[in-house]
Amino acid sequence: MDMSLLADPVFLAQNLVDGLSRGALYGVFATGFTLIFGVLDILNLAHAATFMWCAFAGWLVMAKGGLPLPAGLAAAMAAGSAIALVLEFLAFRPLRRERARADKLGSMISSIGASLIMVSVAEAVFGVQTRRFPGSVLNPKPFFIGGPGGVRISRAQILILAASIILMAVLGLFIRKTRMGKAIRAVAASRKAAMLLGIDVNSVIVITFLVGGALAGAAGILVALLTNDIVPGMGGQIELRGLAVVILGGMGSMEGAVLSGFLLGLVETFTIAYLPDGSDIKDAIAFLILFLILLLKPDGILGRGKAERV
Amino acid sequence: MPAKRLFLVAVAVAAFGVPATSLPSSVKIGVVETLTGDNSAYGISIRKGVELAAQEINASKLLGGCRLELVVVDDKADKQEGISVFNKLIDDDKVAAILGPTLSGTAFAADPIAQKAGVPVLGTSTTAVGITAMGDYIFRDSLPQAAVIPGTLAAVVAKYNPRKAALLFQADQEYSKSEADVFKVSLAKLNIQLVGTESYSKGDSDFRTQLQKLSSKKPDILVLCSLVGEAIPVLQQAREIGISVPIVGGNGFNSPDILENAPEASEGLIVGSSWFIDSPVPKSRAFVEAFRAKYGGDPDQFASQAYSGLYIVANAIKSAGSVDRAAIRDALAGIKGLDTTLGSFSFDENRDPICRSVPLVVKAGRYVLFR
Repeated sequence: MDMSLLADPVFLAQNLVDGLSRGALYGVFATGFTLIFGVLDILNLAHAATFMWCAFAGWLVMAKGGLPLPAGLAAAMAAGSAIALVLEFLAFRPLRRERARADKLGSMISSIGASLIMVSVAEAVFGVQTRRFPGSVLNPKPFFIGGPGGVRISRAQILILAASIILMAVLGLFIRKTRMGKAIRAVAASRKAAMLLGIDVNSVIVITFLVGGALAGAAGILVALLTNDIVPGMGGQIELRGLAVVILGGMGSMEGAVLSGFLLGLVETFTIAYLPDGSDIKDAIAFLILFLILLLKPDGILGRGKAERV
Repeated sequence: MPAKRLFLVAVAVAAFGVPATSLPSSVKIGVVETLTGDNSAYGISIRKGVELAAQEINASKLLGGCRLELVVVDDKADKQEGISVFNKLIDDDKVAAILGPTLSGTAFAADPIAQKAGVPVLGTSTTAVGITAMGDYIFRDSLPQAAVIPGTLAAVVAKYNPRKAALLFQADQEYSKSEADVFKVSLAKLNIQLVGTESYSKGDSDFRTQLQKLSSKKPDILVLCSLVGEAIPVLQQAREIGISVPIVGGNGFNSPDILENAPEASEGLIVGSSWFIDSPVPKSRAFVEAFRAKYGGDPDQFASQAYSGLYIVANAIKSAGSVDRAAIRDALAGIKGLDTTLGSFSFDENRDPICRSVPLVVKAGRYVLFR
């Protein structure tokens, strides 16, 4: 432990800012992941590939098309919804049958297949070289709170925190307050009961995919802006963490995903910041904490078993 | 009759010299480079250099009627891929020698295969400690880190007289780890205190926390050991978080790809190299002109070393008068004072190059001499 750093309040505040913005990204990614799981009870392992395609969509619009950031964010989210819709019709719906069990494994395998295809197509279309935003797209000069040497916050981080808070608030309102949100919760609770009550389950599932895909899209463009490193393989890094965040938060719990996203982001950042060779052990520490929490709370931080999801 | 035939052979030998007559009509040289992925900037540049050299060597009939045939393959910066393409080149293509691989990590995995099979390997970009120690068939014309870094740091001391340094490297990359170790030793020798060392791992793209930690130690210089894929975001993020001290980069920073992608952040970057674009060496000036004519852009250190690398192998074949792998190895070991883009070129007893390194600094997007 580096004692001189512990006493430095600016360094501490800096790591809070960095950890929270990193965590916000995990949260946005994992919320889409967990939403689809909550409603359909299946893992959509093509979520990370969707995320990667959306990063490219945003990059195309902003770096190639020269359009401003709102257009990039909109394009990435629209691309995410479109891709998720195609996935639902090609990879998930054909496998959805009344008898459960078998179709869950089948859907997971089919989503892995879809993910592999999407990454290969991206490699063929964009090449495997790293794409970056030109400096003109997002001014890389950060703001310093409290003058030079103060706490740094970059434009990308402000954007990430603002966008993720807005997205999650809108999503929360949508799920809790709207008719469609209630229908989604009903399907999540019991598909059969929802069907008996006259809810059009298939259209609920389509909406779920549209929302989940849009969240993958938002995460894609926001990660791309933060790291400025867009490659077809970029989904691999966030996929495992996203899955961990979903499990830690409680499968299907969106508040849990947001909370554990922030937790993972902070743990990673603080491990790098305060432990010697922290970068080497950040994954080990993060997953050790995950393991310990799951020992105490097997359903995750906000897991409520199967009874009430989403 | 036998006497007469012997006489004819003697005449032929007298007329053409022994070597030329015993060379076949063509000889295959394997070229194993990283041509795809984050670090392909090196391999793509190397391929251009090698292909230009092959074109010239064949056109000038350096080897008489024997043509050089390049078998260029992608190692994808992957150890397993490196091993499998080495096996293929050695067993299927029956190459006489191999140039490459691009990265030291791949070389540590693949070179022992060539050593075991008795195939000479000439690395043109590998700089890690211990590459040529893998065996007597392993050569390189790229300067080892220990031959470059002390000189680069001495030049930095002369100009900035730094007292404290901070270092960032990739923990799971052989090249980067080895280079960081050499920097640590050289800094200690110059009495520069290393106030912080941080690392990152493959796949990381956000280095701000590590850089922030280093920045909080108030170093006078920042030393970076990264490959091009990470070098660009590392440089950009270092400047973004407000690190304004001089940055010294390792060999990975000798790629113009970095200057193009991080034009502002790379300004003032200091590196050490065996070569630079304005080198007054006559062979180098001819090379730069030929390269520009063929590709319409400037070569870099990696293209220059690769170009000279193929000339070194071709000259070894010529003096061996044979495409036998063992004979080429012996001839390579005997190369002395060959005129190349890197100046007068010789191998030392460890099959490492004897040539000097120059400190360079990035000015207006170009590598120029650092004074």
